Amino acid sequence: MSKLVVSNLSINRAELPVVSSLDISVESGAISVVLGANGAGKTTLLEGLSGIIPVAGGSIAIDGRDIHKARPGVRSREGLAHVEQGRTVFRQLTTEENLKVSLHSGADLAEAYALFPELVQRRTVRASLLSGGEQQMLVIARALLTRPKVLLIDEMSAGLAPVIVTRLMSAVRKLADNGLAVLLVEQFAALALSIGNRAYVMRRGRVVHDGDCMKLLKSPDELHRLYLGG
Amino acid sequence: MNALLTSAVAGLTAGGTYALLGVCAVFTYRLVAVVNFTGAAIGTAGTFVLIALYEAGFPIWPSVVAGIAAGTMVGVAIGTIMTRWFGEASASTKAAVTVALLVGIIAIGLRLTGGQHPHNMPELFPGSAFRMAGVEVTIASVLTIGLAALFTVLADLFLNTTKVGLNLRALADRPMAAELLGIRVQLLSLLVWGMTGAFTTFALMIIAPQRSPNFMTLSLLVVPALAAALVGLFRSFWRTLAGGIVLGLVEGMASSVDSISQYRSAIPFLVVLAVLLWSQREARWDEAR
Ligand SMILES: Nc1ncnc2c1ncn2[C@@H]1O[C@H](COP(=O)(O)OP(=O)(O)OP(=O)(O)O)[C@@H](O)[C@H]1O
Ligand SMILES: [Mg+2]
Repeated sequence: MSKLVVSNLSINRAELPVVSSLDISVESGAISVVLGANGAGKTTLLEGLSGIIPVAGGSIAIDGRDIHKARPGVRSREGLAHVEQGRTVFRQLTTEENLKVSLHSGADLAEAYALFPELVQRRTVRASLLSGGEQQMLVIARALLTRPKVLLIDEMSAGLAPVIVTRLMSAVRKLADNGLAVLLVEQFAALALSIGNRAYVMRRGRVVHDGDCMKLLKSPDELHRLYLGG
Repeated sequence: MNALLTSAVAGLTAGGTYALLGVCAVFTYRLVAVVNFTGAAIGTAGTFVLIALYEAGFPIWPSVVAGIAAGTMVGVAIGTIMTRWFGEASASTKAAVTVALLVGIIAIGLRLTGGQHPHNMPELFPGSAFRMAGVEVTIASVLTIGLAALFTVLADLFLNTTKVGLNLRALADRPMAAELLGIRVQLLSLLVWGMTGAFTTFALMIIAPQRSPNFMTLSLLVVPALAAALVGLFRSFWRTLAGGIVLGLVEGMASSVDSISQYRSAIPFLVVLAVLLWSQREARWDEAR
């Protein structure tokens, strides 16, 4: 029961290929981790998947339905959610208003607060005034309220304290355990590999490694080599 | 003194119209991030549908409704152009596009309405509402100001208490994030364009009999309207409202003083200049602090 299947995907930026003939998949209940150095094309990949930028070729399927030509809103309704790089809260809205925006089709605010109880007492605070960790929790919770099948997360740990990052990682693991398919893009490899199932390493827009997270975690030399391109 | 007061009060209808058009401009800017130069032209198109129907012998109120529907449709059409093709463009590009559209609409409008050919524009609300310090205050002026205030209050309520309003605020804050959550971004944007189109049309129908109802003059009412919006710094509805009314009053007074009355139409320009200088000064002051 594969959920997200990406095959032979190519994406250009300013006419130059940034992602080339890439194959990736994520199953329901699992986390696929995408690693890679700065500029490898990780963000570009996620933006192509969610429809922020157009793809040049290939296919993106959720439960067998191809969505690679659809608008972002349509992909969202097909079950894709994207937590963008940079904690894109609606700055002028309060925490609760941020959550309410994505509240449709029978979801419940309580689900969001159950995942991140920290947000409860920040309900009426304007999102621009939240801490970085709270903002990250908010955007993840907000994405969940759209009831996605597949969740894309881009660098959620950037700039956050280690204790918060651990907290976020365990929340994401819990979501996968509840049946979500998660595609997790990270720069900080160790923690991501410790909660993930399948590991991909990207270099210059291509997948240069596809394997098991635990295995890669246990061979730091291999990971180092993959990053640097030995 | 009384002459000055009379002409000031005579400027109230214009002031109410500037206020309403200005508030609509702020609404459009805040929600879909477009400085819209076609605002008044959209209303003018609707107004001329009313005039055409009226001149063809149709009864007045059904013609008014048809005119407002037409203005709404023109607003949605402009909105479609702006959201489909210029949704990702910069603020200045979008403003420039609306200027180009304005020129186009005026050209088409003048052609269809016979240029300077005089039209028979019915007064929708003739007569005076009450006397103030011995001066007649017309129903039209009370109505335009009331409509502007109503729009301001309704816009506030709508944005702050409804789900659609919440989605609109999210959309204004981060369009892409809103779209990624499955918000129907294009539909919402068109709603904004349609709503402002309807209100603008009604405002122009009220003021048209007092101006020479010519397609170009009415379309160019966007200039004082944007001046009023600037007084509110394109953010505050109430300051825009006040700005529009004051602009109308000053213009009215200027028309009664012979030596300056021919420069009357430069008043919005002076207001724009004053606001820009003043806001620059504030920015400098912030920097210096
Ligand atoms: N808007 C853009 N226009 C043109 N090129 C871009 C644009 N954004 C990114 N690129 C290029 O695409 C390549 C991949 O960038 P991308 O942001 O996808 O990398 P990344 O793996 O997410 O990096 P990071 O770890 O720094 O977030 C880079 O070479 C970058 O220069
Ligand atoms: Mg990135």
